[in-house]
Amino acid sequence: MLNYIIRRLLQAIPMLFLLSVLLFALVNVVPGGPLAGYGRTRRINPEKIEQLKRQFGLDKPLPVQYLVWLAGNDWMRIDADGDGVAESYGERRGILRGDFGFSFRSRKPVMEEIGDRFKNTVYLMSITLLVVALIAIPIGVISAIKQYSWFDITATTLSFMGQAIPEFWLGLILVLIFYTWLDNPVTGESLLPAGGMYTLGVDFSLLDRVRHLILPVTMGMVGWVAWYSRFLRSSMLEVIHQDYVRTARAKGQIERKVMLNHALKNALIPLVTLFALDFPYIFTGSIYVELIFSWPGMGRLFYDAAVHRDYPLLMGILVISAAFIIICNLLADLAYAYLDPRVRYD
Amino acid sequence: MTSAVIVIPQDPLGFNGLVADTGYEAMVGELVMLAVSEIDPDGNVYPELAVEIPTIENGGVVMDEDAWTMDVTWKLRDDVYWADGEQVTADDLIFTWEAITDPEMGIWVDGVDYTDSLEKVDDFTFIVHYNTVYTSYQTQFGGENFNVYPEHYCDPSQGFTAWDCNRQPLSDGPFILDEWVTGNYLTFSRNENYFEDGKPYIDQIIVRIVPEQSVRKTMMAEGDADMNMWLSEAEAQELSELGNVYVSNAPSERWVFRLIPNLVERGTTDPAGPVHPVLGDVQVRKAIRASVDSDTIINSVFLGYPKPVWTEFFRPPYICDIPRPEYNPEAAKAMLEDAGWSDTDSDGVRECHGCSTAEEGTLMEIELMTYGEYGEELELAHQLVGEMLGDIGFKINLSVIEGSVLWADYESGGLEQTGDFDLNLYDDGYPGIDPTDNQLWYYYYSAAAEPDYGWNVGRWSNADFDALLDEAYTLDEEYRKDLFCQMAEIMDAELPQILLWSAIAADAFSTQLEGGQSTTNDLPTWNVADWKITQ
Repeated sequence: MLNYIIRRLLQAIPMLFLLSVLLFALVNVVPGGPLAGYGRTRRINPEKIEQLKRQFGLDKPLPVQYLVWLAGNDWMRIDADGDGVAESYGERRGILRGDFGFSFRSRKPVMEEIGDRFKNTVYLMSITLLVVALIAIPIGVISAIKQYSWFDITATTLSFMGQAIPEFWLGLILVLIFYTWLDNPVTGESLLPAGGMYTLGVDFSLLDRVRHLILPVTMGMVGWVAWYSRFLRSSMLEVIHQDYVRTARAKGQIERKVMLNHALKNALIPLVTLFALDFPYIFTGSIYVELIFSWPGMGRLFYDAAVHRDYPLLMGILVISAAFIIICNLLADLAYAYLDPRVRYD
Repeated sequence: MTSAVIVIPQDPLGFNGLVADTGYEAMVGELVMLAVSEIDPDGNVYPELAVEIPTIENGGVVMDEDAWTMDVTWKLRDDVYWADGEQVTADDLIFTWEAITDPEMGIWVDGVDYTDSLEKVDDFTFIVHYNTVYTSYQTQFGGENFNVYPEHYCDPSQGFTAWDCNRQPLSDGPFILDEWVTGNYLTFSRNENYFEDGKPYIDQIIVRIVPEQSVRKTMMAEGDADMNMWLSEAEAQELSELGNVYVSNAPSERWVFRLIPNLVERGTTDPAGPVHPVLGDVQVRKAIRASVDSDTIINSVFLGYPKPVWTEFFRPPYICDIPRPEYNPEAAKAMLEDAGWSDTDSDGVRECHGCSTAEEGTLMEIELMTYGEYGEELELAHQLVGEMLGDIGFKINLSVIEGSVLWADYESGGLEQTGDFDLNLYDDGYPGIDPTDNQLWYYYYSAAAEPDYGWNVGRWSNADFDALLDEAYTLDEEYRKDLFCQMAEIMDAELPQILLWSAIAADAFSTQLEGGQSTTNDLPTWNVADWKITQ
């Protein structure tokens, strides 16, 4: 197993490298560029734009820009003041040495920008995934055990609806219902806030935090609950007809134990894999949820970086996301092997 | 404690409107910093840090008629302090100007080419020496983006565009920045040392970042927001129907939707080079103007908010009496026939048969571009204009392009700067009250046709217009008006751009907030010190 993990991690290195080359090329070939925002203004004349390009290193050929991004520029002379003369060594160390550069817009280090938003996204998405698990698993199990019952039919109908509803639309409807239409009968204010993480100017309150979480978590979880519950139902239906389940029953075990100890344990294996594959959302967040509910997370950071062609920030987010995806894929495989003794990677 | 909530869709980059790319920088800049002078919604210049606006009459402006130069003396108030107790002086203004014009770390601003030097007379007086007659001198150190920075607080070695005081400003304005949680909110508290007695009247301003347009609108409706700026027509109509919101329209328009025809061969940038096969003929451009039913678009798409506009000189202080062109598609067809464009194969698209700009048989086919960021209304108007042109025999290919691609610089492949377009539809207009530099030179002067030096992207060149514009750099207002109206006639005859209708300029304020007034000359927070919360 250890050999397998090491092999997979080693394989991830060239994969990440190729991915970074591809992403860097894609990000840079999109027309516009980080200085395009200065178009239609006279504030930056052509000479100044050239100077900024030299200062940002955008005047260099793409392969050189990539090399600087990867390995830094402290080994080469750069034109720090943009006067056309490379007079001093750079200070960047490149992502290989943990330096993701600085945002072209805010001039803040990329990792600082990501760090500010990362914790907010983890906070929202981990609670969303937890709620998804808490709701989807019981629905899937009961639907399978009571196949074609009213519960199963209702859950099936709702899950199809959940998968079909556009996430963005759902968010707006939630705002309409719980912010606009429904009021708190005691205070007369909106039942739930339209966005943000907490009420400004109010001391920390768990209730306040929960109120701000309800709508974004609901919007984020509906599609997932629908998908996971359907998946678990199918998995359970497959498992409960297996010989070992019949054997467990024949041995006289009560039905609840058969289902929980024998059927559910095995039915969860593919779900765990699926869960591990969805885990990168903990980092990347959901753009739609964050946009509608004004949640200051990674999704919005990525959206803003893309709109403003903030290459270093965009590349930082993309590469870290890619690394998360690769790691979570590995974790999914390992979890599969751990949960299913038949699977061996050695 | 009284508090007002402003909702905006994204974080400002900082508080420096001059290095901004969203406009929200200038909006929050108005909360914390002052300028020497400002422009009110009616276009009147008023002093802010200055004691008065210098003029020839009050001796503040001294002209040298022979050398055609001038000196302007500004006197500053002596009762304005930074939040740390230091006094705002002429040194701060000179420091700011030097940082802006620093050759390595500064930027270009209005008036920089005309200013020889700034001379300090005493702590509250400075003289600006110009190398010519600068017509916008009254707003050179003010207007919507310019603020004065504290010499003792900002670090010039960091450069004007990047210094820390752009994001952590020291206030001399009505409010002080308390906290900025990026992506979430900014909070400001009342500046107790603000120079106007008793102002500001509000204790706290909260700027909340709410990306989704419909949520911002809903927050206004629910009373959780007090200002939502830059409304679309649909938002303005919807919000104006609510009892707890008032929609403030600016007294005069600024932005005008217009068609920008490329007069030279697509992909080229030389005004003297080959002409555009279709749009190079002024008769074709006149036919386009006659075929666009602006009134229908105004009423059906923009809900009646805009006004029809057909000349650059439509708003105070420069209004010229140019007759409104008639919407007449039949006349447009006749113009095209006369110009040698006819549909001989009856396929609905005209071809060149005797036209002066294209080879025989060339299809009258052009691409009509607009930009996507404005939203649904412009895209609908774009389609309607395309259909209207199609009705008179054009084959129109519609494209919606990202603004940053359309307006990028030449090297980045900007479609306009490289001349890679036929006919574009978008809104534009000049800031302030002086059109000479920011509109007339920039969009119409022949030298501005050079890539990246201006936005005469249609590559129009007219020696008479250039001569009139050169003459218009004078402080003789009556003479200027006369020159501008002569220019208006030339532009009306040659149609380097086809102006269509104005864009809405409106902001929404809650009824509990008193004093909010939309303006096209500044940001809606221009008079935030006068705002009051009444409930």
